[in-house]
Amino acid sequence: MNIVLHGNTFRLLPEKALFWEEYGLMIIADLHLGKAMHFRKAGIPMPELSALKDYENLNALIGVYHPEQICFLGDLFHSNYNTEWRLFETFIEQNPHVHFSLIKGNHDILKDEHYEALGIELIDDQLALGNVILSHIPITHPPEGNINISGHLHPGCVLRGLGRQSVKLPCFVYYRNTFLLPAFGHLTGLHVVQQIGAVYYAIAGDRIVMM
Amino acid sequence: MNKLAQQWFEQQQWKPYPFQEQTWRAIASGKSGLLNAPTGFGKTFAIWFGVLEHYAKQAEKKKRKGLHCLWITPLRALSKEIEAATNRVSGDLHLPYRIGLRTGDTSTKERDKQKKDSPEALITTPESVQLMLAQKGYADLFKNLEFVVVDEWHELLGSKRGVQMELALSRLRTINPKLKVWGISATIGHLEQAKEILLSGVPDSVMIRAKLEKKLEIETILPDTLERFPWAGHLGIKLADKIFPIIDNSNATLLFTNTRSQAEIWYQRILDLRPDLAGLIALHHGSLGEDIRKWVENALHEGILKAVVCTSSLDLGVDFRPVDTVIQIGSAKGVARFIQRAGRSGHYPGAVSKIYFLPTHSLEIVEGPALRYAIKHNQIESRIPYIRSFDVLMQYLVTLAVSNGFHADEIFEEIKQTHCFHSITRDEFNECLLYITQGGKLLTAYDEFHKVVLENGVYKVTSKRVAMRHRLSIGTIVSDAMMQVVFMRGKRLGSIEEWFISRLNPGDHFWFAGRNLELVMVKDLKAFVRAGKKKTGVIPSWQGGRMPLSSYLSEAIRHELNEYYSGRQKDVELQFLQPLFDLQAERSYLPKENELLIEKIKTKEGCHVFIYPFEGRFVHEGMAAIIAHRIAQIRPFSFSIAMNDYGFELLSDQDIPIEAALNEGLFAPERLSEDVMKSINTTEMARRRFREIAAIAGLVFSGYPGKQVKTKHLQASAQLFFNVFEDFEKNNLLLRQAYEEVFDFQLEIARMQTAFQRINDHRIVLQYPERPTPFSFPIFAERFREKYSNESVEDRIRKMAAALETPNP
Repeated sequence: MNIVLHGNTFRLLPEKALFWEEYGLMIIADLHLGKAMHFRKAGIPMPELSALKDYENLNALIGVYHPEQICFLGDLFHSNYNTEWRLFETFIEQNPHVHFSLIKGNHDILKDEHYEALGIELIDDQLALGNVILSHIPITHPPEGNINISGHLHPGCVLRGLGRQSVKLPCFVYYRNTFLLPAFGHLTGLHVVQQIGAVYYAIAGDRIVMM
Repeated sequence: MNKLAQQWFEQQQWKPYPFQEQTWRAIASGKSGLLNAPTGFGKTFAIWFGVLEHYAKQAEKKKRKGLHCLWITPLRALSKEIEAATNRVSGDLHLPYRIGLRTGDTSTKERDKQKKDSPEALITTPESVQLMLAQKGYADLFKNLEFVVVDEWHELLGSKRGVQMELALSRLRTINPKLKVWGISATIGHLEQAKEILLSGVPDSVMIRAKLEKKLEIETILPDTLERFPWAGHLGIKLADKIFPIIDNSNATLLFTNTRSQAEIWYQRILDLRPDLAGLIALHHGSLGEDIRKWVENALHEGILKAVVCTSSLDLGVDFRPVDTVIQIGSAKGVARFIQRAGRSGHYPGAVSKIYFLPTHSLEIVEGPALRYAIKHNQIESRIPYIRSFDVLMQYLVTLAVSNGFHADEIFEEIKQTHCFHSITRDEFNECLLYITQGGKLLTAYDEFHKVVLENGVYKVTSKRVAMRHRLSIGTIVSDAMMQVVFMRGKRLGSIEEWFISRLNPGDHFWFAGRNLELVMVKDLKAFVRAGKKKTGVIPSWQGGRMPLSSYLSEAIRHELNEYYSGRQKDVELQFLQPLFDLQAERSYLPKENELLIEKIKTKEGCHVFIYPFEGRFVHEGMAAIIAHRIAQIRPFSFSIAMNDYGFELLSDQDIPIEAALNEGLFAPERLSEDVMKSINTTEMARRRFREIAAIAGLVFSGYPGKQVKTKHLQASAQLFFNVFEDFEKNNLLLRQAYEEVFDFQLEIARMQTAFQRINDHRIVLQYPERPTPFSFPIFAERFREKYSNESVEDRIRKMAAALETPNP
């Protein structure tokens, strides 16, 4: 599904990513890599294999859309250094043709040198591309004429139907000058976002449903 | 005869009961056992003088210092009562036998003092015993321990706290093989088993039953006119007027409600109607602050209060002598619980316990005669003990690793002696060990799991941080994240679930602790409030409190409905219900004992099918899922499911082909477990069970008490763990436990099997009423709903078309 935000065309992917074809830019929010190992290090037994799943999903995404650049919208690595970083190194090394950048989020506490060693561009707060502002935490009042694309919230929405049915799904959310991305990482929860006048793009299996 | 007892009883001018003398003799001969006696007859002294006599004899021979007796109670309030009573004996008889308290309230200073110079007896709780086992050198503390007394064992038995107790006893018996264990229990359905579980592996034990019958009188409070559409929750409060004559004519009254919000509502309502009772009535429930509860308990003791509105928080524990009347508001859900509550009045020997039953909807009126019938025929529920609770075992293993460390073989042999882990295999035990040492099976080389380490054959915790986190999370009672409610000046009122507060904005009013409060601000997990002046406001509704009707009580209800037809002499309640039954018969049908009624109704919401097995909420929950699953074999379906203790409802957007399904054997008892498995996979039961398991096994850490959560990066919901295990570790021990618990406790699978068999022999009566019937109405009005679906998410969404949950403007 394509969506035009302030004159820019984006593709909403049911893989929970946003693709900006004009720039060959894949935008991905809230991966929370390293979380499984972070928990294990603290003596909380998160199954080990669960760490691998996000890399599988990332590789599949690259295989289909061939992005030139990937921008992580924060909360990329949910930990200090732990051994899972080596999995991430392997992933980066396997994709030498992609330029990676990270807008730092509140969970990105890993030292800069680790990113720099892999050639990942680090952005402290926000990145403006024309009238598009990328950030981790949504900007409270984006300047008029601009659109803020952000993550952080892990948005979800509740759909209700006849017979008192209901289902909770991850979603993209569009309201005023703000566009929210769902969390990409599978070790994340959902936060139901309720905004007046918002449009929700719910991810239902391999389809996107606009509400 | 027990000399100390003789002396003291003479001082008091009391005469011992035969059961007391029997217990003294049994203890004197070195036996362990279970004592079954009602409250108010001196069961504490029956055991206590046995313990004292043993100590006196021992002291004659040689001087042994240190802890001699552990007295374990399920409630802190009870601990204080026991401490006072036993201290009085030591004082009156000038005995050098000191008694200390050891609960969550005991200060660190006091605990250190106890460690250096232990009193002869400690009164404590199951959690505190585990905490003692988490201390370095606990074996020294317990090396001269001769007695463990478990008070109110029936209360602990059917819970994971009971498992904690079993494990602690297995350890203490190794430290002193001659340890004597005594349990005290109220009457429950299976006392023999209760004894076996507590005294598992003790060869020579006795059961002592006090033959003291307490007289019980039940009176149902009937409304002036009968509401023919029973709507849960409404009738109760309308009957508030009726309780005033009862309160006025009594010395002191306890009003039991089933939930905390119900207690809050009643308290307010009483004050609205009778402002003159202000200061004479009080509120007591588990979320209120310790100070407030203590004040209420004291005031009740001293006879200052006319009435207290309470929840199960006052089910147990201290005897309040002034209380002579009990009112049960709404269904007590079980016979044992009803008797227990009734027993809170009339505490002196020979007194009649009078209990009033106040129904909250008209159909509930039938429970009055049903209770009378069940009590007359001695149908008192059993408590199902937990078995194979691996979550508690893992917590226990880490506890031992935190203190002295343990040898796997030794602990394995010990726990195999317990009832709970009797059937554990070495493989399963090894899996638990694997779990605490490396977080499960290892697959990659990159790992740094850190909790328990194995050094020279000893499993131990070396990290201080792990040890501290573990000590803080010992326990098996799991609650939602709680927020303290505090006045601006600092006075604590109690605690409320975080999600309730998070829905309020500063300036909003709500009711709590019987007061109208205005939320000022939320800071550091504290909700600061000031007294509100409004008469309106939300009342928090707490999770939980949805007990199912017990099998004995539902059987008794079915019996009473059948009595209605028999034309024999009817209880006043059944006569009163006549118009409701008439309307049910007119609009639909009134089922007899060997019939099952099904009603199919179409409304603009969709197609409703109501089924009335009268088997209690939990059985209905499972039954509904199975019936939904079987119908959905005809074609894909999504159902929303509601239930109460009398029946359940399936609601769907498409026509439910109940007729075809019945022809194909909808209630066939065959293939039941297969269908249970299939339908459970699609429902959320195991997921909900997993919440508690994850917390006990240490997967979910809720932060340090009272401190702002700095561990947020280590927080993940049990839900997330459940999903991850389902995806990556399907045979995980804890996951399997969640399913087993669903089977045993949630679905009550044994009971459900019986119900299916019963119904299969019944004549099924299918009716198509045009309007809701008295039976269907309360289920129809239930807002809390389950889901069953075997349609794909995409299909369901396509059908949901217009309907996104709209944000509050």
